[in-house]
Amino acid sequence: MVVLKSITILTETYNQFIRITEKIEDAVRESGIQNGMVHVISKHTTTGIMVNESLECLESDIEDFLGRLAPEEGHYAHARMLRDYGSTAGNPTGHLKAHITGNHCHLIIQDGEVVKGGAQEVYFCEFDGPAKRTVLIQAAGE
Amino acid sequence: MFIDMHVHPAFYEPINGDSRKEDLRHDALDIHLNGTAPLEHIFNQMSCAGLDRLCLLPQDYRREYGEPLVANEEIKALVDLAPDKFIGFAGVDPLHKDAEEDLEYAFEELGLRGLKLHPSRQHFYPSDERLAKIYDICEAYKKPIVFHSGLSWEPNTFSKYSRPVEFEELAALRPGLKICLAHFGWPWVQETAMLMLKYPNVYADTGILYFDNAWEFYKKVFTQDIPASWIDRSLRHQVMFGSNNPRFEQIRMADALTKLGFRESTLELVKGKNAVEFLGGL
Repeated sequence: MVVLKSITILTETYNQFIRITEKIEDAVRESGIQNGMVHVISKHTTTGIMVNESLECLESDIEDFLGRLAPEEGHYAHARMLRDYGSTAGNPTGHLKAHITGNHCHLIIQDGEVVKGGAQEVYFCEFDGPAKRTVLIQAAGE
Repeated sequence: MFIDMHVHPAFYEPINGDSRKEDLRHDALDIHLNGTAPLEHIFNQMSCAGLDRLCLLPQDYRREYGEPLVANEEIKALVDLAPDKFIGFAGVDPLHKDAEEDLEYAFEELGLRGLKLHPSRQHFYPSDERLAKIYDICEAYKKPIVFHSGLSWEPNTFSKYSRPVEFEELAALRPGLKICLAHFGWPWVQETAMLMLKYPNVYADTGILYFDNAWEFYKKVFTQDIPASWIDRSLRHQVMFGSNNPRFEQIRMADALTKLGFRESTLELVKGKNAVEFLGGL
């Protein structure tokens, strides 16, 4: 059985880490699937999905780390008028940060619950906010 | 007070219940892949940019599509949803037979604060005598006009109609009519500066981002194409911040504005005080 759920997130700041673990756990329980996998996938290219420990200090360090890898004042080719959009691209750092975190994670479902380590939380990462974002949660199994 | 004088709400969620109209707007404006924006998102965006008010501009190309892309009534409806955040302008297709009647209704009944016209899209020169009655109405109601000026990315637009020098006759003959050359008349920014220097009733907004990123492009236009000192010393009462959102990036443009080296008092004028003067009050 495969059950797909879509959730919408309105982010509020330029870069933002939002815990979505509970939404994933709720989606798995609603799905009725007892054993299998849950896939969490962002539909965007300037956002990420990451699994890490939920600590303010780590969120700060991760944000600083990504900022050093993709500094705002860097020279980027992705800064030009895009014909397909009819607008100017100005979010290269968002794309690069998203490239580093990746756009998805997978967790195991066992006995109807999401299995994860004690320190693990799933984050939706905004790198070009504020924006209206969509995350797909697919539970697959039996 | 920080005001964005150039915002197009064509994709705001409250006026996009009709998918046919939304598709028409994407095609007619050549803006794609952006989706629709709930007002909560718009307010988040304003907060990130530090903006207090947005001036919402309609788009009425009725002779081309048989209906306005964004109607005056829709602008009024949006303003009513957030009167402390939105300022509404009227739009008419000036060569349409109903234009004068529609404009008086927009000022009188809808309470809209000024008029937006697009010479490049609506195919008229600003000095065209057929617009005299439209200008008369604006003067009678003491309402300013925001004119598109310079390059337009929209389809079916011709830059010859909105080159800054084409506005000189209007500015000279109607000194009591405040006009804003949107997009600073880019690429003819020196012509725009020339008009503002000569005519105090000519304003310009900063809604341009055609190359590079916001800071790089603002630096090129406002410190090299024209030196920052021209605005800081001579044109400081006539330049208004505008982003042309959603085509351009409101948050990064608002940030870039603050880095151009203007005096703090000039920045306050450009960010809001000039807009308040242009509008005749908030």
